[in-house]
Amino acid sequence: MNIKITYHWLLDFLETDTLPFEIQKYLSLAGPSIERVEKVKNDYVFDIEIISNRIDTASAFGITQEAVAILPFFGKKAKLKSNPFEEYKFSKIIKEQKEDDYKLNISIKENNLCSRFSAIILDDVKIGPSPSFIQERLKAAGIKIINNVVDISNYLMLTLGQPTHIFDFDKIANSDGKSTTMIMRQSKKEEKIITLDEKEVNLPGEDIVIEDGRGRLIDLCGIMGGLNSCVSNNTKRIILFVQTYNKQKIRKTVMTTGIRTLAATYFEKGLDEERVEATLVFGVFLLKQYASAKIASKLYDIYPHPYQKKKIVTTFFFFEKIMGIKIPKKTIIQILNSLGFETKVYDEKIEVFIPHFRKYDINIPEDLVEEVARIYGYNNLPNNFPPPAQVLQPEEFEKIFKVSSKIKYFLKHLGLNEVINYSMISKKMIEKWGLKEKDHLKIKNSISKEIEYLRISLLPSLYKNIKDNEGKKEALKFFEIAKVYLPKENDLPKEEYRLGIALNTDFFDLKGVLEALLLELNIESFPLPKIIKKENVFLTEIPLLSLIEKAKLLPKFKPINPFATIKLDKTFELKKDLTFQKIKEKALKSPYLDKIEVISLFKNKLTLRFYYSAKERNLTEEEAKRELEKV
Amino acid sequence: MENLNYKEEIEKATSEVILENLRIKYLGRKGIINKLFEEIKTLPKEKRREKGQKINEIKKEIETLIDRKKSELKKTQKKEFFDSTLPGKTYPKGSLHPLTYVIEEIVNIFQKIGFIRVSYPEVEWEYFSFEALNMPKGHPARDDFETFFIEAKEHQKFGKMILSPHTSSGQNREMQRVKPPIRMINIAKTYRPNWDATHTPMFHQFEGLCINKYINITHLKGTIDYFVKEFFGKERTIRLRPAHFQFTEPSFEIDVSCGICLGKGEFGGKKCRVCKSGWLELAGAGMVHPNVLKMGGIDPKVYTGWAFGFGPERCMMMREEMKIDDIRILYSGDIRFLEQF
Repeated sequence: MNIKITYHWLLDFLETDTLPFEIQKYLSLAGPSIERVEKVKNDYVFDIEIISNRIDTASAFGITQEAVAILPFFGKKAKLKSNPFEEYKFSKIIKEQKEDDYKLNISIKENNLCSRFSAIILDDVKIGPSPSFIQERLKAAGIKIINNVVDISNYLMLTLGQPTHIFDFDKIANSDGKSTTMIMRQSKKEEKIITLDEKEVNLPGEDIVIEDGRGRLIDLCGIMGGLNSCVSNNTKRIILFVQTYNKQKIRKTVMTTGIRTLAATYFEKGLDEERVEATLVFGVFLLKQYASAKIASKLYDIYPHPYQKKKIVTTFFFFEKIMGIKIPKKTIIQILNSLGFETKVYDEKIEVFIPHFRKYDINIPEDLVEEVARIYGYNNLPNNFPPPAQVLQPEEFEKIFKVSSKIKYFLKHLGLNEVINYSMISKKMIEKWGLKEKDHLKIKNSISKEIEYLRISLLPSLYKNIKDNEGKKEALKFFEIAKVYLPKENDLPKEEYRLGIALNTDFFDLKGVLEALLLELNIESFPLPKIIKKENVFLTEIPLLSLIEKAKLLPKFKPINPFATIKLDKTFELKKDLTFQKIKEKALKSPYLDKIEVISLFKNKLTLRFYYSAKERNLTEEEAKRELEKV
Repeated sequence: MENLNYKEEIEKATSEVILENLRIKYLGRKGIINKLFEEIKTLPKEKRREKGQKINEIKKEIETLIDRKKSELKKTQKKEFFDSTLPGKTYPKGSLHPLTYVIEEIVNIFQKIGFIRVSYPEVEWEYFSFEALNMPKGHPARDDFETFFIEAKEHQKFGKMILSPHTSSGQNREMQRVKPPIRMINIAKTYRPNWDATHTPMFHQFEGLCINKYINITHLKGTIDYFVKEFFGKERTIRLRPAHFQFTEPSFEIDVSCGICLGKGEFGGKKCRVCKSGWLELAGAGMVHPNVLKMGGIDPKVYTGWAFGFGPERCMMMREEMKIDDIRILYSGDIRFLEQF
């Protein structure tokens, strides 16, 4: 969540000698990140990213509270000019209450909807434009200007961090014109409300709503008011409405209806109930001053569980343990106090009292360390290596990573191109490959038909790689090392690493690659993997583990034979019962045969070269010839 | 003997090899001249001498002709043009996916300081991706990790089957596998339902986890600073900014100084167009939340630790060589992209 407020807006609360760009720099390092500063007229607009658990900072006053703690650590002057939480107490308006003029009949149907409910009716409202400072600040904040009453409502939110709502009292008044009924309850499924923006919303159910007692919904609480109760140019009497709602419920409504207003973004984070008082009183002040409003009812405030100050007890050593350096006790205390935490010290122990505006994000001693460390400055902590510790890599991981790296580089040097494909494929690819859809895990909420099923083979993707690249290059040779996901009954799938190779040259090219790879990995006696031909593409797939199990760092050393090797060439006419394999098997029966080389193949005429030698003496040409005769 | 045409043959020879063959043909052990000498034996005695002299003359003539031709050939050969600027013999040039190099580099950097690489399931139970990371059901922090769900029966204890949206699910798995000291990096494929110029539904993440007695923030800073200097260059520095993650406390956003303006935000008197403020966001990190340690069966009173999560794709694209404007090309399988690396 980002909010925009201006430099002068901050200066309403902050006394400082810090320039706007310095504020950006220092706050970003130790608190909320100010992503941009823009000069607009005589003011500067800060675009601030609110840290997700720090909704208490999402206002001019919230940022001021941070600045007061942060800036002095950069050698800047920063003091609180005024504190609205202390200044705008109910006691300031309590005497102006009018018990009998106008009334609200409030009923809250369930007690988990709203943790604090406050409201007041104001009379004699004159609708008109809001004062220029409010207009300018709201414009800077990116909020549309409507009229003085609505603008003040928005201004309150960005000044104090508490959204408010304003109803036109007369539009929802009972027939006596003196009272109105407000029933706060959960919505029923399919119940309808037309919101301020004139859209009809079909409610999913269990949303917090207000009904006027005659079955009419007048507010989709925390999200947007109803069109039937909104302020217009003729509005005379208003209800200033300040609540804190159950954050889970607001969030659910936002998610299910898709209506995300700025107010909802505040409420769904969970607001501090104590903020309600200052917001309502400040609101009354502003409405009196800029809309000539007068208080016309009693002050309603339903707050069943007021904040009981919670405390966290920890030790000074704990700060050192997490931060890695020892900082003076008085610095720790000073930082905590500057952030509004009260502290009591007992020797090495420290008791920290959590202010109301931090009651939701500060829960454990680690949270306090974060506060102290960030204000002290992460940049003031040294860079250290963790103390040495011996950690062993499990053998299976080590082998997988080592051997796959070796395979990758080898295949690259043979001229193959590594590809990384998505683990998910389409139904079409599965079917085209003759696999069964039901053998694959399916993604329930995929965003595209292209990526709906988890691969159980690398080949459909590799085949597609070749097809997609046809015309871009003549000879295409791809490989991929990746996991496939083989479903298991009632369990996570088996994730198996595979090596897949595909090329569009010829059968012997792929066979040669495989033979060379086995040689490179020093694998002896490995059944040659099956080569599949699909159209002009030759493919193969091997479980990586089967290679890893047999791969060796070094091949077996054979002593160098000092005796002569006799080379003999012979040509065969290949046919069904005389294949190379058969010739080889026969030739290998000789104890003197070292190896066979293919010299040439012309039509079905195969010329082979046979290498013969003996281990203990020089073999004669005659002997070798005799061996070859047998083939 | 009169029909021997050695003169013509030698004259026509175009290479030393051909000359040598002619020499063997005429003067070799089984050559024509020797054959002629053999034939002398069949002649009557008085004719032998004369014939012998004649053969000897021819022999000498052939020798002279061959020698002359040889030196002639040598002279002309020297004048033949030899172009050393021609390309050398072509060897096959394949390629690895650029991420393979990046991941290998990252692993090497961390291996040098004693971190081991592990691998954990990509198809995971919700529990390991969320609950075990201090994000109970219904927690809004779970929204930050939009997730693909698998059509499968729910696990009684661990919940739904998902594609892990981050590598942090490996944290709990590693804590279950070994007791501290823990020093791991986990680089794996991760998945989230986004697909546009800056997101792919599958991408990589790389997680670091270090747990032991008295592990503190300075160790996290030191380790990441070391990584940044090794990976991006000695002149780069890092800074930590406050952040919030459910599974760490305190939590940081880690920025690396911009390689163009070196953290100044200005370049040649103008605003740096690469980073705007001098810094680039690199990673999220923090001290492991005590609840996460507890759920991994580790006593947070005894042990502390840190964790971080980076994107290898982002690390790669932050390097000078890899200015990619559409990340989808990484997984397109386009040969024109792949063969460049």
